[in-house]
Amino acid sequence: MNLAPYAEFAKRAFSREATYRAEVFTRVGSVLLRVFLLSTLWTALYRNNGAKQGISLESMITYATLALLLDLIYGVNGAYVIRQKIREGSIAIDFMRPISVPLYVFADTVGQTGFALVQIVPALVLSFPLLGLMHAHVGGPSGGIAALGFVASVALGFLLNFLIDLIMATATFWTMEIFGIQIMVQFISSLLSGSLVPLYFFPNGLQKIAFALPFAGLYNAPLSIYIGKWQGRDIALGLGEQALWLALIWFAAMAFWRRGERRVVVQGG
Amino acid sequence: MADAGARHWSAYREFWRLNFLTLMEYKVNFFIWLAFTIVYHGVALGAIWIMMSRFPSMNGWHWQQVFFLYALYMLGHTLNNTFFFTIGEVPDLVREGRFDRLLVRPLDPLFQVLSQPGQIWPDELVIALIVFILAQGAVHLQWSSSTVVLLVLATLGGAYIDFAIQLIIATLSFWVVRLDALRWVVMSLENDFTRYPLSIYNRAVRIMLAYVFPFAFMNYFPATVLLHKSAEVGYTFNPQLGWLTPVVGAVWFAAAYSFWRLGLNKYQGTGS
Repeated sequence: MNLAPYAEFAKRAFSREATYRAEVFTRVGSVLLRVFLLSTLWTALYRNNGAKQGISLESMITYATLALLLDLIYGVNGAYVIRQKIREGSIAIDFMRPISVPLYVFADTVGQTGFALVQIVPALVLSFPLLGLMHAHVGGPSGGIAALGFVASVALGFLLNFLIDLIMATATFWTMEIFGIQIMVQFISSLLSGSLVPLYFFPNGLQKIAFALPFAGLYNAPLSIYIGKWQGRDIALGLGEQALWLALIWFAAMAFWRRGERRVVVQGG
Repeated sequence: MADAGARHWSAYREFWRLNFLTLMEYKVNFFIWLAFTIVYHGVALGAIWIMMSRFPSMNGWHWQQVFFLYALYMLGHTLNNTFFFTIGEVPDLVREGRFDRLLVRPLDPLFQVLSQPGQIWPDELVIALIVFILAQGAVHLQWSSSTVVLLVLATLGGAYIDFAIQLIIATLSFWVVRLDALRWVVMSLENDFTRYPLSIYNRAVRIMLAYVFPFAFMNYFPATVLLHKSAEVGYTFNPQLGWLTPVVGAVWFAAAYSFWRLGLNKYQGTGS
């Protein structure tokens, strides 16, 4: 299979995103504002209640800041374009082209994510003096293995996130009304992935459920590795669990996609 | 003038009739959105519950009071969502060139934005009322005529505060093409930071939420009056400040509307 066209798709998506210069400022600005707000929130909660679950205030601010930066990556919803294509019927033309549509969408997502990564750098650098104003700071990873594990875990999280978005977009083959369902899943995921509140703060029963779901692979896994909540064997197990979910969801997403595709081909769009 | 008023009124009645017909036609859609609304507020309340179970001290506010704070916010916010929700479509209308269509019709452009038939039903307002009834029971709210007056004023004023901020963002789209990030951050400021009592934050955040984006007037200040929280640790303000919500709503709306007229003139002037 020739992958060169897909590399080109990714490059084009990167350049396309890069044309919206003004949006880079508002996006980085919005991350910084949220970093500021969340660190004041956590500082206030810790001042009133003390540290909980063995997570120091410094670790918590690091966690919250990195979660906001990860939002930039996971916020890219490249698969959403499928909804538009099905709605307008242009998906039929895409099927005639000698390319794989999911792979094309993936390449586009990679390109967009590449541009999101570029924005993370100024957002992170500018958050240092901002947090410094509040006598807080972003801690480094808890060690060399943690740093590597974090990168691997974010990579797995990125793939997982893409496949979840793809499944939602594929549902458009059956119903046009996926928008509501999609944001519903997003809201549930925002809570159960640990992006707003670390899962360690959840009450016991709910915590067990949240740890067992795939959403935990998005924020909880990489951030647990980064702040040193997981070490040694736990890192390996955590990455393994992410990979297992990824394989399962990949399988489901592909099966779902093929059924959707057949629907269009058989019915003639 | 009376003629223009009558024209707007009949168009507005037609708008709600169409909304109702859309609801009858797309029942599945209605239930999906209803489920979404319930999940949305359920997740928010769930997050508050999780936080309060681990961090029970919120500067002297216990969970029933924090729950009440959210319920009060919901009243103003959902009133805004019911009547002014489509203001969020302005950036799309401008970007896709559909906004120009509104300028050639003999009705006020803002009115037309707010009366685009779609999938708008007052279901969220009903949910807000149910949540509020539960919350006022949880805090044993003392009912009197002044309680009723304050609640009505806080809800109306709160809706106008919410709408004024949305209107300012919408107006910015006459100058800036992509506003998603800004909208998102203001939404987060509104959703995440009105959940807890203002007194837990530092000075910069308090000033921002009280006087720049005055979301604190939607729930925090009226709640301190209703719950008799006259003395807050580390934060002093006039305990009657909660009565000012309608004034803040009117002032911010007047400012937002002037800004909107300015943006509209600029848009028509350049003909872009």
